[in-house]
Amino acid sequence: MRDDGYAIRLRGVTKRFGKHTAVDGFDFDVPRGTICGLLGPNGSGKTTSIRMIMGILLPDEGSVSLFGGDPDATRRTKVGYLPEERGVYRKMKCLELLTFLAEIRGVRRPEGRRRGAEWMERLGLPDWMDKKVEDLSKGMQQKIQFIGTVIHEPELLILDEPFSGLDPINQDVLEEIVRDFHARGTTILFSTHLMDQAERLCERVCLISRARKVLDADLRALKAAERKGVVAVEFEGSDSWIQGPEIERVVPVNGALHLMLREAADHQPVLERAVASGARILRFDLLEPRLHEIFVRHAGAGAVGDAGVPAGRSFTGSSTGGA
Amino acid sequence: MWHNVWAVIRREYLQRVRSKWFIAATILGPLFMGGLIVVPAYFASKGEQGARDLAIVDGTNVLYDRLAPKLVEAGWTVHEERWHADVVTELREAANEGAIGGFIMLDEITLENGEAVLYTTDRPSALRQVTLRGSIARSALEYQLEQRNVDVESMLRGGELRVEMLANAGADMEDPQFVVAYIGAFFLYMVILIYAVAVMRATLEEKTNRIVEVIISSMKPWHLMLGKILGVGAVSMTQMAIWALAGVLLFAAGVPMLIAARPELANLAEIREALPGIGLLPLFLAYFVFGFFMYSGLYAAVGAMCNSDEEAQQAQWPVIMLLVVPIIMVTNVIEDPTSSMATGLSLFPLFSPILMWGRIAGGGVPGWQIALSFVLMIGAVFAIAWVAGRIYRVGILMAGKRPTLPELWRWVRQS
Repeated sequence: MRDDGYAIRLRGVTKRFGKHTAVDGFDFDVPRGTICGLLGPNGSGKTTSIRMIMGILLPDEGSVSLFGGDPDATRRTKVGYLPEERGVYRKMKCLELLTFLAEIRGVRRPEGRRRGAEWMERLGLPDWMDKKVEDLSKGMQQKIQFIGTVIHEPELLILDEPFSGLDPINQDVLEEIVRDFHARGTTILFSTHLMDQAERLCERVCLISRARKVLDADLRALKAAERKGVVAVEFEGSDSWIQGPEIERVVPVNGALHLMLREAADHQPVLERAVASGARILRFDLLEPRLHEIFVRHAGAGAVGDAGVPAGRSFTGSSTGGA
Repeated sequence: MWHNVWAVIRREYLQRVRSKWFIAATILGPLFMGGLIVVPAYFASKGEQGARDLAIVDGTNVLYDRLAPKLVEAGWTVHEERWHADVVTELREAANEGAIGGFIMLDEITLENGEAVLYTTDRPSALRQVTLRGSIARSALEYQLEQRNVDVESMLRGGELRVEMLANAGADMEDPQFVVAYIGAFFLYMVILIYAVAVMRATLEEKTNRIVEVIISSMKPWHLMLGKILGVGAVSMTQMAIWALAGVLLFAAGVPMLIAARPELANLAEIREALPGIGLLPLFLAYFVFGFFMYSGLYAAVGAMCNSDEEAQQAQWPVIMLLVVPIIMVTNVIEDPTSSMATGLSLFPLFSPILMWGRIAGGGVPGWQIALSFVLMIGAVFAIAWVAGRIYRVGILMAGKRPTLPELWRWVRQS
């Protein structure tokens, strides 16, 4: 099949477990080279969707294609997958485990060994290569698992909750590596319930709630579209410019003023008036809605509320998404 | 992708062969066993040296010549003392002074019922007593039989039964080797069970470990299962090759050494003659290999459908029964290898490794039945691989409750 420019395409994918519908009619595209977040509360169907992309579960309905073709043909060598529940062969030596994981994805043993050693150096584990995995701390084991995911230099990285269970320092390390892969053109899909992390990393987001897709868009465009027309300003001097036809209401917030613009009003004339008035502008900030707010608005407060996942807070309770 | 299967085999094999358990069981095991036999025998032979110098007072004048060579062969030094009035007193003194180990009194009663008296300062070991008693009784018996012109050698060996087949049915059968049949059958049961269970445990471990999701995203479940089975199979072959080598060494070097140290153990040498001919070895291995493939497939499926060791303990009992039934039947089958029951049961593929082996070693199988058993087992291997592969494929990624039988059937049908 020809390459359609999409790393992942799902069409009408549905998965049921008995009476429970885990994923319902999911259409989902990830263009090549993008970094995409799959967001949603625990139990919303993120892991089930990812497992279907990985061919671990077969959809009851719908189709999955990778790189515009049959997923089975490309999955093994082109995709790196970090499952939510990560396992290792605990009795194996670290470097041997990495060599094995490279080998089953088509990398020759000496090359796999070399890459494994290189990655272990890079992630600060050079002294652990010949140690058994079970002797490593949990954080170190997660690093090994991550190396195992990328050791065959996949074109598509699928990471299921990659940041959960990592301390902040290692979260930063991992985020840096993910950005690095993105810069090299790797397509990345990761699931998370941490909205601010998604906000920092993603170009695209896909929000799902209760087995259904709620939103699937370019993050910047989404935010522009969802912008409510609020400008936060801080200034010294004249406030005469605040009066105008564009401005509906003014609300003081934390020492700044939030100018609520009228529907479809442009903020530009306000800025021009402010400059003309001679006031010293310290801040003129078109407030973007937080991803969390967008999600709540689309999924309904209940969807977020009953899963109990406010933005910016980590919940480490186990997901039922894959059950 | 055979490349993947190979990677799994290689990993499984190296991990296992390098483990301490394997090294202990495979290499130290036979060494330990050998040591257990050879070392005590060696020291024992040094310890009892003094008691080995025996005087024999032969009141019958016919027994000494027959008895002396037997005792010399078993490691004693003997000399004859003429009977006279004070002989007991003199010999007793000699024994107390340590000049001799003791003395044996033989008389007319000995000739009639084999009874004799041994005077000694050290109580001889049970084994030595048996050897002495047997040698004396046999000497008496030989004398009595010779008086009647009987072929002593043949009679005492237990005679001979030549079997002449009237019909063609069993013309190509081997002579029965009961011991080999029994020991072989139990050994087959043991090794098939041990290694098939190893496959189950490996499967279960991958599943509870959660590594399976990573592996399955890179290869087909069927390839993983095949790699596991072949990897464990290779380990089993390695282990048995080492055991076989150790066994050969034990009999080729260990037993002669032992007999040299303790001549009264000369009977051990006969074990070698009771061992199967080289011709039976390939058959034994073939039945092991097929048995292992069939049962490891079943066990892989059991491992894949369970979530914990406890669950697996319960879920494996139907499979264990399949191995236990032939072990219960094997006695009957070896005793009557040509009965229709023995024939029928031994042709059932899952029973074939143990029962057909028992029949072959027991001497009652025409060649075509052996061939048929292999054809049926090949079919069974594929059938089990097909069913187990499907159960494995669904089960390996399944969490939660263990499937019921109808659910299992659905897994097989759907995937």
